[in-house]
Order: sequence, then C-alpha cells, then structure tokens
Amino acid sequence: MERGERKMKAYAVLGLLLLSTFAGDVSALSVTVNDVECVYEYVLYEGDTVSGNFVVVDHDIFWSSDHPGIDFIVSSPGGNVVQTMKGTSGEKFEFKAPRSGMYQFCFHNPYSTPETVSFYIHVGHIPNEHDLAKDEHLDPVNVKIAELREALESVTAEQKYLKARDARHRHTNESTHKRVIFYTIGEYILLALASGLQVVYIRRLFSKSVAYNRV
Amino acid sequence: MAEKARVLLPLLLFMLVLVRKGESVWLNIPRSGNKCVTEEIHNNVVVVGDYVVISDDHLHPTPTISAKVTSPYGNVLHHKENITHGQFAFTSSESGQYLTCFWPDRPGQGGALSVNIDWKIGVAAKDWETVARKEKIEGVELELRKLEGAVEAIHDNLLYLKGREAEMRGVSESTNFRVAWFSILSLGVCILVSCAQVWYLTRFFQKKKLI
Repeated sequence: MERGERKMKAYAVLGLLLLSTFAGDVSALSVTVNDVECVYEYVLYEGDTVSGNFVVVDHDIFWSSDHPGIDFIVSSPGGNVVQTMKGTSGEKFEFKAPRSGMYQFCFHNPYSTPETVSFYIHVGHIPNEHDLAKDEHLDPVNVKIAELREALESVTAEQKYLKARDARHRHTNESTHKRVIFYTIGEYILLALASGLQVVYIRRLFSKSVAYNRV
Repeated sequence: MAEKARVLLPLLLFMLVLVRKGESVWLNIPRSGNKCVTEEIHNNVVVVGDYVVISDDHLHPTPTISAKVTSPYGNVLHHKENITHGQFAFTSSESGQYLTCFWPDRPGQGGALSVNIDWKIGVAAKDWETVARKEKIEGVELELRKLEGAVEAIHDNLLYLKGREAEMRGVSESTNFRVAWFSILSLGVCILVSCAQVWYLTRFFQKKKLI
C-alpha cells in the first residue's frame, strides 16, 4: 500500500487546520514534498494558540544512517516568519498567533528525493471578553470547557505525533526485516558463485588447452 | 501572501457560513496535474468530506474540478467530475492509505484554483446536531458530551497504538532471530562451500595424477 502511494508522482498536499471556536478534530494528513509544499490555515482570532507537529514518514535511506531532514517555515499573513525549523525529521511546534489571517506552513526539501511528511495543525481558541457582543456575559463554565477542550486537543495532538513516529519506525523496521532476508540469501548465492568461479578458474589453469604441466 | 489573505478573507468568511463550523483546509490545485491528499485510516472509521472550489483569479463561472477518493486497495469510493462543490461520506472497510485527488477539468485554462476541504474522521465526523435533537440536550451538556466523545477517541487511539507497537515488536523480534540464525548459517555456508571446493579440487588433481 505504502509503496504504491510512494510511486504516485502526484503532489499530495495536506492542509489541516480547523478554525472554530468549537475546535473540531483534524486528521493528520500526509504530503509528499518534492521541493516546497505549502499549507494554508486561517486563524480567526488574534492571540489564538497554533500548535501542531510534523513527522517525515517516507524515509528510504540507503547509505547514511540519518537523513538531513527537511526545513519547516511558518509565515504570518503579513509575510513575517513566525517559526523556522531547519534540518529536522519531526518536531512539535506551538506559537501564539500575533494576528488573525491566513498563515502559511511551508516544508522545504533541500534534496532531490521526495519525502512524505505527515502533519497535524490545531488552532485553539479560548473565549474571552472580546469575542462577545456588548450585552452578553462571559460564562466561566464556557471558558473552563474551552480550556478542557484545549487540553484534550493537546493530548490528541501528542497521540497523532506518536502515531506518525510509530509509522516511520514501522517503515524502518519492515525495511530492515526485508533487507535481512534478501541480503543474506544474496550473500549466500554470491558466495557459492564466487567459489564456483574459483574452481572453474583453477580447472582451466590445468586444462589441456594450456601447455600441459606449465603451471 | 498578504494580498492573497485580503482577497480570500471575504470569500473565506462566506465559505465559513457554508462549511460546517468554520473548519477549512485550503489547497492550491495546479493548472495541470492533480493535487492529492492522503491519510492512513484504520478499519471501521467514519469519514466525512466536503469540498468547495474557488478561483483565485475570480473567474466567472468558476472553473470546475474533478474529485476522486480511493481506498488502499484501489476501490473508488467517490468520483465526481465537473463540479465546484461536493461531499462524500463513507465508513472505512480497509485499513491503509486513503487517497483523495483533485484535478481541474480544463487544464491550463482554469487559472489559479483553491479548493477548501473539510475532512473529518472518527469522532469528529459525528453529527452532534442530530444527537442534540434526539436526546434534547444543549449548551453545556452538549459540550460535555463532545468532550466525553473526545476522551473515548483518545482511549481508542491509545489502544490502537498499543496494538501497533505489539505488531512492530513482533517484527523486531523476528528480525533479531533472523539476524542471529542467518549469520551463523552464513558461517556454515562458508565452511561448506570451502570444503566442497577442497574436496572437488583434490579429486580433480588426483584424476590428473598431479597428487
């Protein structure tokens, strides 16, 4: 399944962000980053906490033991860079939105091999005095419920991060499992072949076509 | 980027009215080729999706797109062409990567397109309005019900992760076993092959009357 998806040349773009005072749940989607992939998320209120995580899942490394990773840049609607993470293969991030608007979350892949990134972004909002109309009162229960919801969201976010990391680990594990078998059997065959070739060569050295007894 | 935000803001606010509860995911669809969204979903999960297309260049009528949702084994769960708005809902029967792709119907002519996707799975896909109406709860009680649902989802996720970890542990232990046995076996193969060589060459030289 994963190999088939990897073979697809299509760009997989993933945007996740729920903007809602009733913070719904967003799934952790996967993007294939060939060079740059950007995801846009709209933040409704200034001061909202934007939190999330991303993990590089498709990690088909052959030689080196660690991939240099990808770069992650968050830009505010004004164009300012809010957060930068360079050369990482998976991180959590959190920041307070300085203003409302469309935020841009970009992944940069400095290398030519496409990488699949799975990420999750959540915009959390706690109702406060500014949200309400003039004649409404802020019910403390609503504030507490919102805080509870945000706490549960952070647990869910952590779970999604763990799930993505587990997926990557599983990928590496299965690759190791397959490599062990194939490379060992390949090694046996090559060994038998090499010794067969040795024998053939020695036979030829003693064959009648070469000058007899010259060796 | 600021210009885009200024342009998109009134449209977005309009969309927020259309789209449930202000959840929105914005993707840019390239002029040619397609844009795909994937997610790993396990068995028996409710998936609900809703998508709307807007044109960044404000073309009228809005260029249409085609959408397709594919299961990990290749079954097409939803396929629509020539639309600017659509929705789908299904319960996953296979565990794996679900692929949702969008592509413009007339490549090269559409201009810059953005698609707004509302993609919910599991507990988030639950229709709370129906539950509220049926059980006649509202306000704080409804919110607490939602929180309860969220906690149950966390519990289920934990169990799922635990199951996955057990599976991976099995694979790791099997790899460990294989590494040990195959290394010893490789030593055995080495000795076997060299013995076979020596035996064969001895016979050969004896035949050639050199020994």
